[in-house]
Amino acid sequence: MPQVSLTDSFTKPFKACSDVIGLEVGAGLSEGVPAVRLRKSKGRTELVAAGFLDLPGAVPVSPGACDAQTWRLPAPFRAPHAALAIRSPHAYLRHSAGGHGEETADRAMAYRQAARQTAPEMPPLAAGLPEFQAAWAARLLPEGRRPTACSLQVAAAAAMGGFAASSALARAQGHAVALFVFATSTSLAAFQDGRLVFYREHGVGMDHLRAAISSQMGIETALADSVLEDTLIDPTPVIEPILRPLYRQIEISADYLLRRCKCQVEHFFVNGLTVGGPHWAKLFTRIMTHNMTFCSPFEGLERTGQAVRLPEDVEKRAPLLMTALGAARTVLEDA
Amino acid sequence: MNASLHLNLLKDDERFTSSPIRPRIMIPLLTLLSVAGLGVWWLLLTERLSGAVHEKAIREAHCAELTPARNQVLSLRAREKEVRAALTQLGFYRASRIRFGDTLMRLPQHVPASIQFTELRVPPPPPLPAPDPALKVKPLGPTNLVEAVSLRIAGRAGSSASDEAVRSLLDALRQPAYTNLIRKAEIPKGAFRQDSARGPAARESILFEITCACGERRFK
Repeated sequence: MPQVSLTDSFTKPFKACSDVIGLEVGAGLSEGVPAVRLRKSKGRTELVAAGFLDLPGAVPVSPGACDAQTWRLPAPFRAPHAALAIRSPHAYLRHSAGGHGEETADRAMAYRQAARQTAPEMPPLAAGLPEFQAAWAARLLPEGRRPTACSLQVAAAAAMGGFAASSALARAQGHAVALFVFATSTSLAAFQDGRLVFYREHGVGMDHLRAAISSQMGIETALADSVLEDTLIDPTPVIEPILRPLYRQIEISADYLLRRCKCQVEHFFVNGLTVGGPHWAKLFTRIMTHNMTFCSPFEGLERTGQAVRLPEDVEKRAPLLMTALGAARTVLEDA
Repeated sequence: MNASLHLNLLKDDERFTSSPIRPRIMIPLLTLLSVAGLGVWWLLLTERLSGAVHEKAIREAHCAELTPARNQVLSLRAREKEVRAALTQLGFYRASRIRFGDTLMRLPQHVPASIQFTELRVPPPPPLPAPDPALKVKPLGPTNLVEAVSLRIAGRAGSSASDEAVRSLLDALRQPAYTNLIRKAEIPKGAFRQDSARGPAARESILFEITCACGERRFK
């Protein structure tokens, strides 16, 4: 049993978090700030509330642009603790040869960094966030009011953390390659025995697909999602040149796992995709001769409270809550 | 087993409690309030103590001022008590007074012509025992509640029938007219004798004494 000194009990009055809200800051979604509240009870993880909150969620891009704003969340989202996942173009997540993430992406900017060994004989995974952005985010939720921040994560790490604890990976016996599709990038992660053994980031995201459809089909970017959903138009010729390099990377990653780790990957998961799933899957099957499985972030979670009956638009846009949910779940699993 | 991917960039000093009661504020605040409370309590205590000392000094001065008058009152009370005791004692004496006048006024008619009284007196009571030296206050009068009283009559009878004359007088003293005063009258042994001191001419004279025990004198 760990010994806790009296001083520690006063200066660190935080016990294991069992009720956490995950918030994705800087997602830039028109719906609002993704928020998911999870609670761990008797070993089970429950979904308490989920939705998009009407909050100013833009991350400052320079130290001078940091305004002193504080957030007040709606009652169903007022968990005691909050896990903030920050999406920032300055943030990074990568395997670090240095061991503890001492490398910085930009020497001109002070970075806050954390690193962790995710698997034996693999370089540690390092995350970094500009100091001004981290400090700004830490002040969003003031003291004395629910919630207060207990975790600050890089968005991609949060999304991966959520998947690592998901029932989908458990069903695959811990051996899988997962894609995390974001607006401007896609993260590729390979898992062996439930441990992250490989992580890469590709500069291809949903915004690139939308931009290609918009430019090649001559429609507004806002209508690109309807083209991806519509069965009348086949956007495969447009999106294939964009997705093919990504799928090629997946193929290389699977080959790497087979050669290096003696692990035959048969499960390929995609997270965070709201539209165009069938086109992604069809193309994937043609190139990789494997099936692609689309994950819902709420899969395997028991629902309680407000989450028992979520609004239809929230259910439909659930993949966009992947990062917020992942941030909360990572904290719960780490507690 | 999953390896955690929790890469937490939050610093320890950025972790706050969501409880409105914040230990890092409340503990110093409560400490400060406790110290302030103790200070106020100590000040109040000091002030009360100072007040009490001041009042004690005032009262002591007042007592010092009143002491002569008090001593005077006490001495007057003691004197008053003494006088009252003396008055009570005098009252006892007054109440215990035995009136011999009326009885003695009737006595000549029972005295035969041959008898001459040479002495008629009420002997003083026996002396009181010495007062207890342990007593601080000396008694003002007799401490006994009753006192025996007697009447002594002495005389001479000058005729040949002097014996009868003395007996006649003794019987008279035993009559009811005297019993309210004289309880018992008798001639002590040897108190009936010839008067040899006056020479042969007075050999026919007889000297006698009669002792009468009177009612007790009660000091109540």
